Amino acid sequence: MSTMRPYRRHPRTWRRGALTLVILAIAVAAAFPLVWMVLSSLKTPEESMQVPPVWWPGSPNLNAFTEVAGVVNLGRSFINSAFIALVTTVAIVVTSLMAGYAFAKYRFKGRDWLFAILIATMFLPPIVTLIPLYRLTGYLGLNANLLGVVVPNLANAFGIFLMRQYIKGVPDDLIDAARVDGASEFLILFKIVAPSVLPAIAALTLFAFVYHWNSYLWPLTVLQGNTDQYPIVISLSRLLSYNRGAMNTGLVMAGATLAVLPPVILFVFLQRFFVDSIVATGVKG
Amino acid sequence: MTGRQTRSTIGMLAPATGLIAIFVLVPMVLTIGLSFTQWSTQTGFETASFVGLANFADLLGPTSIGRDFRAAFGNTAIYTALSVALILPLSVMLGLLVHQTFAPGGILLRTVLFSTYMVPMIAVALVWSKLYSPTEGPINQMLGWVGIPPQTWLSSPRTALVSIVILNVWQQVGYFTVLAVAGLTQIPRSLYEAALVDGASAWMQFWRITLPLLRNTLLFSAVIAVINAVQVFEPVALITQGGPVNSTNVMTYHIRRVGIERAQGGLGSAMAVTLMLSLIVVIVLLFTLLRDRGEQR
Repeated sequence: MSTMRPYRRHPRTWRRGALTLVILAIAVAAAFPLVWMVLSSLKTPEESMQVPPVWWPGSPNLNAFTEVAGVVNLGRSFINSAFIALVTTVAIVVTSLMAGYAFAKYRFKGRDWLFAILIATMFLPPIVTLIPLYRLTGYLGLNANLLGVVVPNLANAFGIFLMRQYIKGVPDDLIDAARVDGASEFLILFKIVAPSVLPAIAALTLFAFVYHWNSYLWPLTVLQGNTDQYPIVISLSRLLSYNRGAMNTGLVMAGATLAVLPPVILFVFLQRFFVDSIVATGVKG
Repeated sequence: MTGRQTRSTIGMLAPATGLIAIFVLVPMVLTIGLSFTQWSTQTGFETASFVGLANFADLLGPTSIGRDFRAAFGNTAIYTALSVALILPLSVMLGLLVHQTFAPGGILLRTVLFSTYMVPMIAVALVWSKLYSPTEGPINQMLGWVGIPPQTWLSSPRTALVSIVILNVWQQVGYFTVLAVAGLTQIPRSLYEAALVDGASAWMQFWRITLPLLRNTLLFSAVIAVINAVQVFEPVALITQGGPVNSTNVMTYHIRRVGIERAQGGLGSAMAVTLMLSLIVVIVLLFTLLRDRGEQR
């Protein structure tokens, strides 16, 4: 390849340097809002109010974080968020594995149209079903309660789709051999199939966890203002309207920092699985 | 098919299918049914009374119901068009930067871009409401450094919707960049080698090879971007409450306000049905315009 390029050594190095600078500049610009968020959470109220804005906190302190804990019941909100995210994630992984296995490895009447209907729900914006769903969970006695947040979200089409894509790649021989040995279908699924699609399970775990940790519209609707049951994202939304005085900016930034941490930390450790699964489900040859 | 197989098929499918049927498909059908009724969301479904197309007539009519709905519909259309128009070219440009191996930094860029996609929208809204602050915010300060006068951002009806588009693009572009990279990896390297032999410039290669072969990726991205765009809710609910002067009142916010907060369940359902039908039209249009019909191969 390099022999075909007419550029001499010097301009090539120059071009590489310029492109690297462009990439770095974009990365810095993209990271800027989050960097500003963390810096601002460490400023004093006076610094937050200054015009023109101060970039670097003169005496970094965690007062804003203590203040947030005074406005919002942080412990309770974090527990609520963790409950919502963990329960939905575990359930979604299990239900998706089961249905994904059936769609990938069983032959039955109506399989393709059933799959098509389920996949279509993936493209349905939640607002379209919000109003009757709210009444439905009301009938089930789940409104104003964390269970109301969780129960409608124990299965989803994306999970089924992702699992089917990966389970299709598990060799039939492996499954047939276990059947000959008399293993039950559930045993085969959880002892043989699931361990061979661990990357998909990791990806789905992270997608589901982040999605439900971050979700706002449905919890806000179904919890009907029951602040005891609020997840962290709803609790923090109250910071913006709280005490519009000098402390407000620091409060908001400290609150936002707290809400961002769990999903972003999870992502940094496991981003490879996210990226692979997007490639597997997003693009069809 | 033996009895055992039938039983295990049902057993495997029942939990996911049952849950999706009860909590997605049934509400979907109910939304359509309720759109022809007058019904208070605070009461049982049995209190809904059939009113034919009256709700839809209201949405098209001259009263404030129709005016507010059409404003929300228009805002959502503008918001969606702007989001897609920004996200698609950006995702290809950033995708090329992540995908190339000529200069270092691609993986760093991908990590930064994709980590913003993990940030809860509520935190994005909180942070950007402060970044946009006309006097204490850093954005106007930086604009000042290059001689651009301070902008009104979220506080003026002229700029508020665009400001929300920008924060949303910032949050989402990482996901679409990863999609673009996935598309780029599928393009055979041999095509570029052949083009190089023919003396095609990098510019020509982009327009003649890269872009045409990204067509399916871009179609998928466009569909997802449209569906994401109509869901915008948090920045509006949190910062602008639909204002100033209704300029950021978008569909998800409006439908929830009418159907849940004002408990006008029938009217809200009619709005939801209209939104869904419009989405179907847009997606069908995208497919007709962008689908690779294979005529060039």
